[in-house]
Parts: sequence; C-alpha cells; structure tokens
Amino acid sequence: AGAMAAAAGGDSDGDSEELVLTPAQLIHSLEQAWLNEKFAPELLESKPEIIECVVEQLDHMEANLKRAKRGDLKVSVHHMEIERIRYVLSSYLRCRLVKIEKFFPHILEKEKSRAEGEPSILSPEEFAFAKEYMANTEAYLKNVALKHMPPNLQKVSLLKSVPKPNLDSFVFLRVLERQENILVEPETDEQREYAINLEEGSQHLIRYRTVAPLVASGAVQLI
Amino acid sequence: MEPAEVEFLAEKELVTIVPNFSLDRIHLIGGDLGPFNPGLPVEVPVWLAINLKQRQKCRLIPPEWMDVGKLEEIRDQERKEDTFTPMPSPYYMELTKLLLNYASDNIPRADEIRTLVKDTWDTRMAKLRLSADSFVRQQEVHAKLDNLTLMEINTAGTFLTQALDHMYKLRTNLQPGESSHSQDF
Repeated sequence: AGAMAAAAGGDSDGDSEELVLTPAQLIHSLEQAWLNEKFAPELLESKPEIIECVVEQLDHMEANLKRAKRGDLKVSVHHMEIERIRYVLSSYLRCRLVKIEKFFPHILEKEKSRAEGEPSILSPEEFAFAKEYMANTEAYLKNVALKHMPPNLQKVSLLKSVPKPNLDSFVFLRVLERQENILVEPETDEQREYAINLEEGSQHLIRYRTVAPLVASGAVQLI
Repeated sequence: MEPAEVEFLAEKELVTIVPNFSLDRIHLIGGDLGPFNPGLPVEVPVWLAINLKQRQKCRLIPPEWMDVGKLEEIRDQERKEDTFTPMPSPYYMELTKLLLNYASDNIPRADEIRTLVKDTWDTRMAKLRLSADSFVRQQEVHAKLDNLTLMEINTAGTFLTQALDHMYKLRTNLQPGESSHSQDF
C-alpha cells in the first residue's frame, strides 16, 4: 500500500502558473465552489481547472487502490475519502446543471455577448448541454402547442418567458478577506444607502447583488 | 442546504481517538493521518472516527467542551445574553448528535449533554426568530450574524431568505415606473 504516497504529486502536469495548490487545498477550493454555487442565485463562473485536477486526483488514487490488496484497513479509509470527494464533486456539478436548466436562455444570451478573452461561465460540456436543452425545449413547445396556435401566436421568446435569476435575493456569507466601504442599497425610497465594512471572519445577511463581485473574487464565502 | 449536508461538513472536524490497532501514516488526498498505535491518542476526522468506532477499532475521546460543567456554563451564558454567544465549536450541534449517536459509551453523562446542547440550541433559535422578526419589520437590508453556526443559519435561513425575497418583490412592484419587473417573477 506504499504506492499511495504518490497521490500528493498528482497535478504536476498542469502547466498554468496559478495551479500550485496542494491536493488538500484543491479539495478545499472545490468545497468552497460547491457552497458558493449552492447559495448563489445565478450560475457562477465554471471552475474547469479545479474539476480537472480533482478528477485527476481521484483517478490516480483509484488506480493505486486497484493494485493494493483488498480488505486492507488502509484501503477502506481511502475508499471512504474518495466517496466523500466524489459526493461533493457530483453535488456541485448537479447544482450547476439545475441552474442551467432553470435559466438556460439567459445563460446562453450572456455567453453570446461575452467579450473575446473573457472567461466563460460554462464549461464546454455545459455549453453543449445548454444549447441542446434550448433546442429541445423549443422543438417541444412547437410540436406540442405552438404549431396548433393561430399564426400570429406561434412565436414565443424564451428569453422573455423564462424567469431570470433573482440577483436581489438574500444570501448569508462569511468574510474571508476584509472589505471596506461596501455600499448597501436601501430597500425603500425613504431609507438612505450606507456603507459597511466587512471584517474578516464576520458573517452577514445581505442581498446577493451587493456582494456578487466579492463572491466571484473569493473574498467572501456564501453559507 | 439540507441538514445532512451540514452534517457532512461537520464530519470533517477533527476528534481524538485511541486506536486498538497499529497502522502506518495514511496519505489521503486531503492530508496525512496517523500513524496509529494501540493506546496512543491520535486526531482523525469525525467521519473516520465514527467508522472506526463502529468497527470497534477505537475508543473516542470527546472534545473538551463536551462536558456537563462547561455546557451548563454555556447554556446559562446563552440565556443571560441578548446576543448570540460564541459556541465552543462551529458544529456543536452536529458533533453532539454524531458523537452521542455512535459513541455514547465513551462520553460520560451523555444524556445530560444531549439535553444541555438542546437547551442551548433552543435558546439560540428563539433569539434567531426574534431578530429575524425585527429584521423584517424594520425592512433592514443588512444584518451581521457573528457566532451563528452553519446549522443554525440553514435551519432558519432558507425560510427567512425566501420570505425576504417575496417581500422585496412585492415592494418593488409597488413602486411606480418599474412595471417591467412583473415579468421576471
């Protein structure tokens, strides 16, 4: 079972400079992405490098375990850990798919208007899924209902008929990096806007719109 | 988030066990564990501790705070203060439940501990309901929630955030000039 030590060097062939995470940090960032995705009302930017590295780690570990003898206590501990990581990974990906199915016209619209070089919020696989989902929904609507309608009612805009993510929804967050002067917008016209400081480690309830950039940059963690 | 998912996160917390077997260091993806020697205390995540305990491969040492005297103090403090007092662990509720369910034979006065933690929890949830009520009444847009644990936030939070979202929608639709809002329910 000594071969398992090799797992620590798993992401050595990822050549982009920012990937100097240890496997433990990698798992941690997967969990952070998972929680943020769970609580954010909109689809967040995809994290292809994290997914890729985690899958690589899991594959590597599983390959090692195949060589180890069965029934070993050590092996069962490794299997338990793999299952836990796999659970987070699939829950994360499933959560993204749910959002894609819910908001697909808006997500594809955003993808269309994305500037060259700006990172996509969809992975290539998710993009293919969203396009297919859109095409299938349109075809289904047409076959089941629209083609039986009077000609002037046969057009339907999915962009207008599918609800947008509600960016004004409230979220709970924990501050990872101190932030100053975050402007809190008032709820009604009589109230005035005011600024707050987000101290490291403090927890807040606030509208998602106010902190969306901080979620994206990793300065706060949704909880 | 589901309570089971919060519990899943709580299972990452470390506890001390006394193993009755020996095993070299285990190099997990999330970090190294061990080595394990019979009779020598070692720290492991709760998920592993529970598994080993179920296989009767270890004895569990309860966390320092899981003690009747300490918990009585915490409960009294919580009842005395109007605000939320800091908890001994960010997962105090989940850990109490997990450890008492699987290792109550290693925890002295387990039943009393269960009651004390439940009392503390009830006091805190009552406070949370009160402050949620005033948050809604005063139409606040920001609240600081230090010392609340993940389980507490998720127990009361989903209901609260949904209610706030609905109220926000109703209110913005009342304001003139924003009629387009009604489209994006």
